[in-house]
Amino acid sequence: MGNHLKLAYRNVFRYKRRTFITLLTVTFGLTMLIITMSVLEGVDKQSIFNIINSQTSHLVIFKTGYYEKKDDLPLNWTIKDPHHIQVLLKEIPAVQMSESRICFGASLIKGMDELPCLGVALEPELDPQVFNIKESLLKGSWLDPAEEKMLIGTGLAKDMGLSVGDYVTLRMVTSSKEEEFSWNAVDLEIKGIFDTGNPTVDTQWVFLPLKQAQEALSLDNEVTEIVIRLNSNHDQEIAKARDQIKEMFISQNKNLEVFSWADLVSMFLAISKVKTEKSSLIILVLLFIAAVGIINTMLMAVMERTREIGMLSAMGMRRTEITRLFIYEGGIIGVFGSLLGCILGGLASWILEIKGMPIDSMGEAAIKVTSAIYPVKNVIYADLSLEFLVIAFVLGTVISVISSFYPAAKAARLSPIKALRHI
Amino acid sequence: MSLVKLVDISKVYQTNDVEFPALKEVSLVVEKGEFLSIAGPSGSGKTTLLNIIGCLDHSTGGTVFLEDTDISLKKSKELAEIRRYNIGFIFQTFNLIPVLTAFENVEFPLMLKGNMKPKEQRPLVEEILTEVGLKDLMQRKPSEMSGGQQQRVAIARALVKKPKLVLADEPTANLDSQTGEEILELMAQLNRKTNTTFIFSTHDQMVMDFGRRLIRLKDGKIESDEKREKGR
Repeated sequence: MGNHLKLAYRNVFRYKRRTFITLLTVTFGLTMLIITMSVLEGVDKQSIFNIINSQTSHLVIFKTGYYEKKDDLPLNWTIKDPHHIQVLLKEIPAVQMSESRICFGASLIKGMDELPCLGVALEPELDPQVFNIKESLLKGSWLDPAEEKMLIGTGLAKDMGLSVGDYVTLRMVTSSKEEEFSWNAVDLEIKGIFDTGNPTVDTQWVFLPLKQAQEALSLDNEVTEIVIRLNSNHDQEIAKARDQIKEMFISQNKNLEVFSWADLVSMFLAISKVKTEKSSLIILVLLFIAAVGIINTMLMAVMERTREIGMLSAMGMRRTEITRLFIYEGGIIGVFGSLLGCILGGLASWILEIKGMPIDSMGEAAIKVTSAIYPVKNVIYADLSLEFLVIAFVLGTVISVISSFYPAAKAARLSPIKALRHI
Repeated sequence: MSLVKLVDISKVYQTNDVEFPALKEVSLVVEKGEFLSIAGPSGSGKTTLLNIIGCLDHSTGGTVFLEDTDISLKKSKELAEIRRYNIGFIFQTFNLIPVLTAFENVEFPLMLKGNMKPKEQRPLVEEILTEVGLKDLMQRKPSEMSGGQQQRVAIARALVKKPKLVLADEPTANLDSQTGEEILELMAQLNRKTNTTFIFSTHDQMVMDFGRRLIRLKDGKIESDEKREKGR
């Protein structure tokens, strides 16, 4: 085997330029594969981070039945005395903090302008321990429970030309059912403008103190949800805590349901999966091109070295050995191409992980497309893992070896006499 | 026991619907240690005969014995095994492996035989390369050697595995007459020293004179078979 490998290795570098070009197709395919995998993984992680930290938290408790109607934002499916539940939650070790919130349909009115938005009433003392809205404040300051003030996102501020200190009217939909549609309006001062990096939150959500919202919505000591921050980000730990809370509700006969962040954004996860699959298809095409390159190079080698193959066969080299020789040659191109691809792809992904890739630089259309699918904006960061490099390396090498089978079989099938006569 | 015995060997090539008989009922016995030249004009069947004796091709009729073993009906795979262990080839165009050095080219058949460790192979390779006069050129690649030197490597490669039979198809055709003579002298010398059987084909009178036995072929038949006193 060692001698065959040595011979194969030397044959590969016999035609340096051709080998280099073939090697580059493998390298290019793998570089793109690694960058794509890293960027998609990075965007996914960034999206999940944004979803958990600005939108859903780890777990959410609703009154039983609210989940199915949550898109209508009903205010008649509320949790009564949420504080009592929050005390119970403290007994679960995995729970770091919980917070009561009300989500309601609303619109923001400034002069003649009106934009629909999602109103979220929060507990200003507890919210910073569950979400990162406070950390994301760009201008102004954090909410005070007693003040009639609100926070808006950069997107909404830009769309309506609002800045800190401006007064706006928040029209709150107290019932969205057609037959009993009703609303209430309050004038609130904008106390701060936040930028969480989650386009949904930054362009559609407004935050105000829970007490103010409860008064305006006539919800006395009632909330629509309790959000929970856990000690761990791991899916298994989240599922475990969810089951624990679920059991607690069943044993205490509470009419409540608990959902994980993934349950609430299942649409995003499904789209993300489809996107990953589609991207894999493009990568497969690139790898297919690399495979064709290898087949072509190896077939040329078989043609050029026909007499040499005839000589090897005359010397008694077995068909399996000739096959192996050419497969080794393809494999060596694959190993070097993959290695180079892993280095280049790894380096590019590492730079994208450290420096990030500004979405703004890709133009307005790219921003729209990206933010329509992923809850990220501004800068996308790649997330490179050793696993991707290993997958890419193995894939590159295996494809190269498989691509060599046909030329190798062709070489092995040559009759020694005909091959020796070949000019 | 003779080394090679051909009984009524025929070979017919078929191209589309046209049949071309290359050998017509050729019978021949070659004893161990012979230094035999097969001569004849182009198309007389020299190469075809060598190919059949060298287990590279099947005959279409007759029987071929190699040391009493009938090889006429052996499969290609079995013939490859016979070539691997028993037959050495010297080609007109040298046919060395261009990416290997002279040493590695000669080592290659031993590697194929696979019954020796590299440490055991080294002295054998060095010895035969010294014998063919290439002691100082062992690490050269074929492209760095002259035609004569390349053919010497090819002779060393054919002999290193100590085959029963060495076949050389027009071994001097690509060499100038002086180098050709040197090569033939070397082959004759190795034949005497190792008692290895050499069969070579040629249409060159000088080469014919080297053989101790000369078989002339014409139109696929043996025209004459003579022992030569003057042969080396």
